[in-house]
Amino acid sequence: MKSIRRQLLAALLLTISLSLAGGAFATYRIVRDQLDNVFDYHLRQLALSLRDQAFRSAVGPEFSPGDQALDFVIQVWSVDGVRLYLSRPHSTLPATARFGWATVNTPDGEWRIFSMPADDEVIQVAQPVKVRDELAISAALRALLPIGLLLPVLGIALWLIVGQGFAPLARLANAVRIRTPDALAPLPESDVPEEAQPLVRSLNDLLQRLHGALSAQRAFIADAAHELRTPLTALQLQVQLLEREHNEHERTRALAELKRGLQRATHVVAQLLTLARQAPDVIGIKPVQVSLSELIGVVIADHMPLAESKHIDLGASSLDESIVITGDAEALRTLLANLVSNALAYTPANGRVDVANGYDNDKPFVEVLDNGRGIPVTERERVFDRFYRGESAGEHGSGLGLAIVRAIAQRHGANVELGDSAWDGLRVRVSFPA
Amino acid sequence: MRLLLVEDDTMIGRSVQRGLRQDGHTVDWVLDGQSAELALDVTTYELVLLDLGLPRKDGLRVLQDLRKRNNRVAVLVLTARDTVADRVTGLNAGADDYLVKPFDLDELLARVRALLRRQSGRAESTIDLGRLQLDPIAHQVHLDGELIALSAREFALLQGLAEQAGKPLSRKQLEEKLYGWGDEVESNAIEVHIHNLRRKLGPEWIKNLRGVGWMVPK
Repeated sequence: MKSIRRQLLAALLLTISLSLAGGAFATYRIVRDQLDNVFDYHLRQLALSLRDQAFRSAVGPEFSPGDQALDFVIQVWSVDGVRLYLSRPHSTLPATARFGWATVNTPDGEWRIFSMPADDEVIQVAQPVKVRDELAISAALRALLPIGLLLPVLGIALWLIVGQGFAPLARLANAVRIRTPDALAPLPESDVPEEAQPLVRSLNDLLQRLHGALSAQRAFIADAAHELRTPLTALQLQVQLLEREHNEHERTRALAELKRGLQRATHVVAQLLTLARQAPDVIGIKPVQVSLSELIGVVIADHMPLAESKHIDLGASSLDESIVITGDAEALRTLLANLVSNALAYTPANGRVDVANGYDNDKPFVEVLDNGRGIPVTERERVFDRFYRGESAGEHGSGLGLAIVRAIAQRHGANVELGDSAWDGLRVRVSFPA
Repeated sequence: MRLLLVEDDTMIGRSVQRGLRQDGHTVDWVLDGQSAELALDVTTYELVLLDLGLPRKDGLRVLQDLRKRNNRVAVLVLTARDTVADRVTGLNAGADDYLVKPFDLDELLARVRALLRRQSGRAESTIDLGRLQLDPIAHQVHLDGELIALSAREFALLQGLAEQAGKPLSRKQLEEKLYGWGDEVESNAIEVHIHNLRRKLGPEWIKNLRGVGWMVPK
C-alpha cells in the first residue's frame, strides 16, 4: 500500500543522497584540479632545482625528493638519448621529445612528466597520476564522511517529523469513526491544519447530506407505519364481522366488503413503495426523451374503464404533439396517472375530466382539469402533505397521490400548481423547466 | 344504547357501526369534528367513540371542548396515535378509555359495554333486580330463572329502564336511547314495546307514571 510518509522519506533521502554524491564529485574535481596545479608546479620546481646540479655519473647521490608516497621519479638524459640518471631503478619512463608538461601512458598507469633542457642534458621529473587521484578522492571522502554517517539519523528524524505532521489526519480519522447514524454532528473546523481544511469541509458536507437522507427516511417510515394502520384496522374489523355472519346473503356482503378493504390496503402499500422510490438519492435511471402527447394518450387509455364506470367524460382538450420532455418515462407516467385518477375520484358521476399540454413562457406543461368540487385555497398547501386526505376522500384514496406527484416533479425540476378550472373544479398544472 | 361514532374513514366507520348494531346498540355515525359537536349538542348519547385524526376539527379539541361544556358523556378514543405520550394526552383531555388502531372488534365491544356499565353505576355486567336478571352481553333476560325471549328493541328498552331502576324515563328519552337518525320511529312505537314487555314479563315490572314516563321499580 502506498504511504505518503514512506514516499516522502524515500524522496527526501534520495535527494539528499544525490546532493551528497554531487557534492562529493564536485569536491573531488576541485581538489583534483588544485592538486594538478600544485603538483605540476612542484614538478617544475624540482626540475629547476636539479638543473643546477652536475651529473657526472649515471647514478648520482641518492636524492630524496620528498615523500616516498609522492613517488617522484627523476631521469636525466643526454642529448644523444643516453640515460644519465634514474632516481628509482624500477621505473621505466620513456624519453619524451617535448619539453614542458605531458601525460604519458605506461604499463604502470598514467604518469605526469615535466621535461626541461639543461645545457646539453634533459631533466625529467615525473609523478604517477594515480597519486593525485587518490589524494583527491581521500580529501572528498573526508569532507563528506560526517554528513554521510548522519544520514541514518536524518532518516529517523525525518520519519518522526513527517509522522508528527500527519497526526491531524489520524485525529480526523478518529473523529469520523466515532460518528454513528444517530450522532452525525459536523467535524470541528477550527484546530485543523490548512491542508486538511478542504477535506474537513467536504466531510461535513457529506455528513449533512447523510443526516438529511436518514431523517427523511425515518420520517417516511414513521409516516408509513402510521398510515398503514387505517387500512389494517378496516381489514381486521371486516374479517371479524365476516366471521360472525352465518346468513349466506350477509356472508357474501361481508366478503365483498373485505375484498374492498384488501384492495385499498394493497393500493396504499403500492403508493408507499412508489413514493419511497421517488427519493432523490435513487440513481440509475437514465433520462430519455418523452413525448408528452403520447404519454397523455397512454394514461387516458389506462383510465378509460374507470371513467366509463362513473360515466365521466375523460379526454384530451388540446394536445401539442411537438412537446418533448427529458426524464424518467415510468415516473412521469406515474405522475400523470395519479393526477388523472385523483380527478376521477373527486369528480361526481357524469362529470368531465380534461388533460391538456402546452407552453407557458417557454416552459412546457401538462395539466388536468375537472369539474368536481375543487380544493379551497386555504387547503392548497396542506394537500401535498403525505397522508393528508381531503374531506370525504372516499374509500380508495391513500392520501399519497399528490405527495408522489410532487416528489416526481421535484426530481424533474418541475413545478406543481393548483388552481381553478373553468368549471369551478380543480386544475393541476405541472410545469417543466424551459 | 345510543352511541355516537366519530370516524372519518368510511370502511372503518361502516364496520364499527355494523359491529355495534349487532351488539344491540343504536349508532349514529359522523365523519368530522364539526359534525360531531353538532350531534352532541342536539342529542344525548350514552357513549361517544371518537377518532382523533378528523377533518374540520381535530378529535382531541372536540373532546376538550366537550369537557369544558361539562358534558360528562363517556368517551372511548379510537386512534392510530399510539405512543405513551399520545395516550396520556388523550386520557388527560378527558377520555374514559383509549384504544389504538388496529384493534380487535371483540375488545372494542367489551370496552364499550364496560364504559356503559360504569355510566349506569354498576360494577358487574348483569343487572340484578332480584327475580329479574338482565345479561347485556348475552342479551338475555331471566325471570325467576326462566329465559324470556325479547326482540332487540325490547331488550334495549328494558335495559335502559332497568339501569335506572327507580327513576322514570320519558317517552322522548326512551326514543332517543333506542332510535338513531336513520331510523323511522312510529309515534306509538314505545307504547307498543312497553305493551309487549308487560305481556312477556308481567305488568308489575314496568310502571307507568302518568304524564311523566315509565319506570322499572327497584
